[in-house]
Amino acid sequence: MTGPGLPPGFLNGVRIIDFTWYAVGPWGPRMLAPYGAEVIHIEPPHQPDDHRFDFRPARGINAKDQKVWQEEGSPPFYTGPYWNQLHNGKLAICLNTRHPEGMRLLHELIKKSDGLAENFSGNVLDSWDLTWENLLALNPKLTYLSTAGFGHKGPWGGFRTFGPSAQAGSGLTYTSGLPGREPAGWGYSHMDIAGGWIGGLGLIMGLLQAKRTGKGVRVDYAVTEAAMSLLGPYFLDFQVNGRGTDRPDFPPGNHSEWPGLAPHNTYRCAGIDRQGQDWWVFIAAETNEQWEALCDVMKKPELLTDPRFATNEARVKNQDVLDEIISTWTAPRRRYEIQDVLQSVGVIAVAVQGAEDRVDYDPQLRHRDVYPVIQHPEIGEFEIEAFPPKMSRTPANNSLRSPLIREHTDYVFGELLGMSEKEIAEYKDQGII
Amino acid sequence: MPKVFEGFTVIELADRRNQFVGKLMSDSGARVIQIEPVTGSDGRFTGPYVNDQPDPNKCLDYWWYNTGKESLAIDVTRLPGQDLLRRLLATADLFVESTRPGTLARYGLDYATVSKTNPQLIYASLTDFGQDGPWVGYTMNDSAHLALGGQMGSTGYSEPKTTPIGGQGRQAYNMASIMMLHTITAALFERLGSNLGQHLDVSIHDCCAVCTERAVSYWMWYDEPFLRQTGQHAAPTYRTSNQMQAADGRYAIVTTPRFNQNSWVKMIDWMKEKGVAGELEEPQWMDEFYRAEQVRHGTAVADGIKRLIATETAEQVFLRGQGMGLPWVDIRRPEENFGKDHYKERGFWVDVQHDEIGKAVPYPKGFYLSDELGMRPERRAPHLGEHTSSILTKDLGLSTAQVDILTSTGVAR
Repeated sequence: MTGPGLPPGFLNGVRIIDFTWYAVGPWGPRMLAPYGAEVIHIEPPHQPDDHRFDFRPARGINAKDQKVWQEEGSPPFYTGPYWNQLHNGKLAICLNTRHPEGMRLLHELIKKSDGLAENFSGNVLDSWDLTWENLLALNPKLTYLSTAGFGHKGPWGGFRTFGPSAQAGSGLTYTSGLPGREPAGWGYSHMDIAGGWIGGLGLIMGLLQAKRTGKGVRVDYAVTEAAMSLLGPYFLDFQVNGRGTDRPDFPPGNHSEWPGLAPHNTYRCAGIDRQGQDWWVFIAAETNEQWEALCDVMKKPELLTDPRFATNEARVKNQDVLDEIISTWTAPRRRYEIQDVLQSVGVIAVAVQGAEDRVDYDPQLRHRDVYPVIQHPEIGEFEIEAFPPKMSRTPANNSLRSPLIREHTDYVFGELLGMSEKEIAEYKDQGII
Repeated sequence: MPKVFEGFTVIELADRRNQFVGKLMSDSGARVIQIEPVTGSDGRFTGPYVNDQPDPNKCLDYWWYNTGKESLAIDVTRLPGQDLLRRLLATADLFVESTRPGTLARYGLDYATVSKTNPQLIYASLTDFGQDGPWVGYTMNDSAHLALGGQMGSTGYSEPKTTPIGGQGRQAYNMASIMMLHTITAALFERLGSNLGQHLDVSIHDCCAVCTERAVSYWMWYDEPFLRQTGQHAAPTYRTSNQMQAADGRYAIVTTPRFNQNSWVKMIDWMKEKGVAGELEEPQWMDEFYRAEQVRHGTAVADGIKRLIATETAEQVFLRGQGMGLPWVDIRRPEENFGKDHYKERGFWVDVQHDEIGKAVPYPKGFYLSDELGMRPERRAPHLGEHTSSILTKDLGLSTAQVDILTSTGVAR
């Protein structure tokens, strides 16, 4: 998969320099690859990307053909499953930007590119003398996406975060949990993924703007600000009503606060998962029709005339009692059975699904081809998570794979930058590439 | 420089699933006409309201998600309303809708039909399950998506009998809206070359399902299901929590990294100052390899950090930790960010004038600090039907008498 081998797509001809690492940064450029963009992921020589490493053989349903590295006894630099997700569809080179010649090559690459994305802490590019002004001097149409927890500008500009701490600083962690308990936050780095997508949005918006105006675009993206922008109503409630979130009933667990609705919660079902955790179903009635249908299915018509539950307002007021009643009904039943029977009468009811449920038992995701099988020259065939949007005329390509280490050295330095084989060999010897 | 979406006209069929898409486009320069029922969009009735008094024009959730839009209140379940929508789509750049698949086809407003009149139209369908599949008829809300999509399955406490938790703030709709806007922007980029629109199909469930970090790949590759855990990523086994309680009762997210020598010395000095260094003062801990091994296999470092955090306020944990190059951040309530100089200096709070309450309200600016993209709210959300008359007369060329008929028959408001 060298540059000329990129699959056809409407972003053919768009080239992105990708200095991203960890998880929040790589998503932005990765979201362009399914449309044919040439994303060149740059790793320092002798320091492969962290996500390439996961020194365990796959033993699950995936990666059917691992004989190469199992026989050789040591894994190659692409075995981390998440690497295949974050850097899917990219090209890979190694470049030593601390060497003057390495920096010269980077300058040449910037001149030939449309975008540059990085998520270094602090102002690494400035320290390379690649200030925005200097980037523009090299390429006046460049889109430059910098991602950092607190952004580049401002007193906290050099501060470091990872997904969970960016979530913590924004308020996103605090707003998730049971009332009266410590925060539950998010059980994964939500702002590495959703936040990575927001970075990707900034990048493609920049490319559109640069194409329309012919001018460069700089995007100083602070992940904490993006997370705060996912919590807008809390800020408005505080400013307009003076109501903060420091109150005994907040966060509301899985209850619905705005609008106040009941029932609206998770309920324990029959069975446990492979880790011994209970199985749960989420049920909500947003209308009186749904409430009546729920009572009908539970064979509890008496609830409809019980003054504690006659109106939504009354149900919200008495939702702890109501939750007990519904839990009693769900406890001996299987979660998908509850989902099926309640959905068939229009009540919101779904199983709380884990990864196994989604991969192995979710017919909707299968139908939508969310787990396509891709081919890798050295790992074999395996499933990945698809890039989900569907465009009718110019669909995303979900058959791409992640690059091997230095896979595209010849294409990038030879074909693109015009270096001879001899020069490439010399630069390799000097540790520049 | 014009804002990034300046010059584009968006028709948005009001729905809580998609209103964030229109808001972000409006904040970024597009003209966004929200078509809502004459009784008002669902988004106007969620609360919280100004002074907790229900009023479709004073719903704060609606204010946030609809900045800068125009409101055209017409009943698209009736023939005259459908005709008005059809005429608007004939010249629009974008249509954003979240109806159950098949609904708009019954009105002759599906992509195949309207694209015959306007082949440049980008028709964006953001729905619970996409346009097809066995669950396409399911009834959902935001929390249901977090349950079915895997967010809840990974989130909660280190207790196998305690409920999974979904985050607040309509985060399923938010993440799908981000993905949809990315797709819309891609389609606009593509259209610059082809001069053709297309149909975009984004499923909220698909988006949630691929947004749980490593949970799926760990199941696929290693057969390892995850345990929910307090203040830590879900993982195959319980791990030391990253969430530690500070002296003031607040919490901070604190990792235990492989400290470099500089950070380690500074942290030990800090611990000594607080009298909690314990065994970590001993000389062997100055050895980087020894330390790395202990971090990997023991709890002495994490225990020491826990003792340290318990002596400081969460704010100090943040500031001193960051001073040592550590990615430690206190867990803040959203509103605590209003007082921070950092966000003030970045111009993150943008005043939006609200005559309804006689003052300007500071809103979060949006995702990016970028003069070139220009994403920032400029005007308040519209009142119900605020622009009906002007759109019908100026954009669609109806006479005042025609507008009166539509209004008196309940088709428009």
